[in-house]
Amino acid sequence: MATEAATGQTVSRPGIVSLGSVVRVAETIVGAVLLILILQWVLEFEIADPRLWSIYWRPFTDGIVGSLGYIALILPVSVLMGFFLGWARISRFRVLAWPVATYVDFFRGVPPLVIVIFASLIGPSLMPERFQSRTLGLTLAALALAFHSAAYQAEIFRAGFQSVHRGQLEAAQALGLKPLQAMRHVVLPQAFRLSLPPLGNELAVLIKDTSLLSAIGAIDIFGLSQDVQQQLIFTPGSDLRWLFIIWTAVALVYFVMTYAMTTILAYLERRVRVRGLETMSI
Amino acid sequence: MIRVVGVHKTFGPLHVLRGITLEVPKGEALVIIGPSGSGKSTLLRCINLLVEPDAGSVFIDGVHVNRPEVSAEWVRQQVGMVFQSFNLFTHLTALQNVMLGPVRVKGMEQEAARVKAKQLLARVGLAAKAEAYPAELSGGQQQRVAIARALAMDPKAMLFDEPTSALDPEYIREVLDVMTALAREGMTMIVVTHEMGFASNVASRIVFIDAGIVLEEGHPNQIFGNPQQERTRTFVSKILR
Amino acid sequence: MAQRTAEDRKRMWRAVDVALAVVLTVGGVGYAVYAIVGRWGLDQGYIGDRWLDYVFAAWVSLYVTTIAFVIGLVIGFFFGWIRATRSVPLGKIMRDAKKVADAQGLDHVPFPATQIIWHGFKYIVRRFGDAFVAVIRGTPLFVQIVFVWSVLLIRVPTLNPLVLASIAGLIALTANTGGYQSEIFRAGLQTVHSGQVEAARALGLSKFQAMRHIILPQAIRLVIPPLTNEYIGLLKASSLLIVIGIEELTGFGRREAFDFFKVFESFALVTAIYLLLTVPLSRVIAYVERRLRIPGLGIQEVTAPRAPRAAT
Repeated sequence: MATEAATGQTVSRPGIVSLGSVVRVAETIVGAVLLILILQWVLEFEIADPRLWSIYWRPFTDGIVGSLGYIALILPVSVLMGFFLGWARISRFRVLAWPVATYVDFFRGVPPLVIVIFASLIGPSLMPERFQSRTLGLTLAALALAFHSAAYQAEIFRAGFQSVHRGQLEAAQALGLKPLQAMRHVVLPQAFRLSLPPLGNELAVLIKDTSLLSAIGAIDIFGLSQDVQQQLIFTPGSDLRWLFIIWTAVALVYFVMTYAMTTILAYLERRVRVRGLETMSI
Repeated sequence: MIRVVGVHKTFGPLHVLRGITLEVPKGEALVIIGPSGSGKSTLLRCINLLVEPDAGSVFIDGVHVNRPEVSAEWVRQQVGMVFQSFNLFTHLTALQNVMLGPVRVKGMEQEAARVKAKQLLARVGLAAKAEAYPAELSGGQQQRVAIARALAMDPKAMLFDEPTSALDPEYIREVLDVMTALAREGMTMIVVTHEMGFASNVASRIVFIDAGIVLEEGHPNQIFGNPQQERTRTFVSKILR
Repeated sequence: MAQRTAEDRKRMWRAVDVALAVVLTVGGVGYAVYAIVGRWGLDQGYIGDRWLDYVFAAWVSLYVTTIAFVIGLVIGFFFGWIRATRSVPLGKIMRDAKKVADAQGLDHVPFPATQIIWHGFKYIVRRFGDAFVAVIRGTPLFVQIVFVWSVLLIRVPTLNPLVLASIAGLIALTANTGGYQSEIFRAGLQTVHSGQVEAARALGLSKFQAMRHIILPQAIRLVIPPLTNEYIGLLKASSLLIVIGIEELTGFGRREAFDFFKVFESFALVTAIYLLLTVPLSRVIAYVERRLRIPGLGIQEVTAPRAPRAAT
């Protein structure tokens, strides 16, 4: 992997599911198993301890479902917003570009945790009466997290748009394509492909950032695991090494989710890859 | 066919075109020469409105085109353009590059466009490379695809903006051959080039532009053999050497 | 004359555009401020009394961030460098050993044990680095902090809880930024074209000299902007220390919001301080990046602004 990037050339055009990617996935699984074995040995715990899992299984599964629910809400909103904000950011109309630049600066300058905490505290008081409910603060915080990620994605899409060579647009115009047609058929396909790898990274960050919602009482894997941790610490005589099991399991869940996300996007990128352009990197 | 009357263009403090007047009758191949920075590329871009002239008029086939009522897209369908840097769409195959204009701009059927694109690729000698992506083609092949792409719109005239100056010497010949054939078939062309062989064999007229104005024009033999202006003489002696 | 009017029209539209953009931006921000705090009004007396406490909390954030960042530099450079090097195949080691043996006229090839152990050791360290970075990047900082905290809790249970939390937070932040920085150093070192190394070796420079005089000067230029971004990111990430009860800016702001019901005031102060710390720094970095880039050299060209090329 490292050598491939070092020489700046891929070995050959990989198929849709290449041998290399299968090997990489296998490597990752073996690595994860090895790492857990080493951790068990160094920290003296047993990951499959049935005494813990008898109390932890329910919160564990509920938490995974909860986290996936938040991801399913936040991810599409953020990608859609990020795309259009990125588009507006490169507009030659300053009416579009400047407000978006301010938006991006704000959301990139403030920690997501601050945004989450205060969106849940302030947000509900801004909403009309009929929307009020017990979970409103949480929903608004989740949306605020989407807005936050959208600011980062806007920058990714903007970079994608800008890396499409200017001559491409000129050639499209010279053929008589209208501005929107040139965007749709020439600029977008190229910008989209260039944006995919960094987008994969950002979506992985977004998945990890959903754990922040636990700070305001969300029912997710991190929050529920923290509850179990409190139980264990305040129950006299319980084996505190069980905390290692909990956090190793939680780390593994997040790792699988982020790994799946980056792998899917890498797969998408290969799907839309153009022959002869493999060495071109963003 | 193409008439340019008193065209001016400024880019900020740069006065690039200072009142250019030109006329290209149907079927003529006009070659524009001149030092770099003299405004040749800008003039071509003014003709298909990639650059909007600040003043003056451009007529194509008798239609005054740089008016708000005339859509730029319509103008660009009338004149094809070939760029110095090819500008093939990197995400499309050679065939798809040629098909894009007819399908998206003219609304032609996919199948008909495919047949037409294949014919055009055959005409520029690249039938075998239809499925290749631009990055897999040599510079000369890319430029020939670019010519086919412009021809696919059935333009009334073609603009060539230094089509061979980004090419390695061994590929220049194949592109010039395609252009020569095109001129012999009676295509109206305006070519900005420094290829003097092409200019003297193919051009019916040569225009020398310097500092944004037409300094001299005439038959190739006159411009190369007996230039009237001092500036023309210096320039010609430099490029003929 | 006609030329004048076309130019004038363009200038007029640009002015209208800019004016509208300013109105929309300022109006949008103004409306947001009004919607959040305007209707209730900010308690200026509270802000006047307490703002210094917020600044102190921000100082805690900066302090923790800076320590973690500096230690992270060492970790990051070490793993970045080791991960940027390539594996030497076993076959090549054997061939080299044979070459040396032939040159010295030995009749048997000595087994290159030290070579194999050395390269094997480097390989293991590199794979360990890969795993380290994958874990850091693949799991939330929250989980990393809590994990380190629970290790300390169990291994040194006698520690004062506040000290324990501080050490745990610092370790977690350091490890986290070390992982991210190692990616930055790796990319920076690998981006320096291998042709550069070749050319340096061709001039007769040693491996070390090539690193010192050719690769590092180029890599440092590439690495400084992303490192600064990493510092900004780490400053924001330090807010997560809230989970083990460390009161940096975010934690302090949240407690104030709950203890005194000063939600809007706290929000205003916390955001203002974060923005003051991050936005100017990232602006400067974007500017420096544009200005100091050696033409044609860059991890990526995409950050370049669209430069309008004057066609001639």
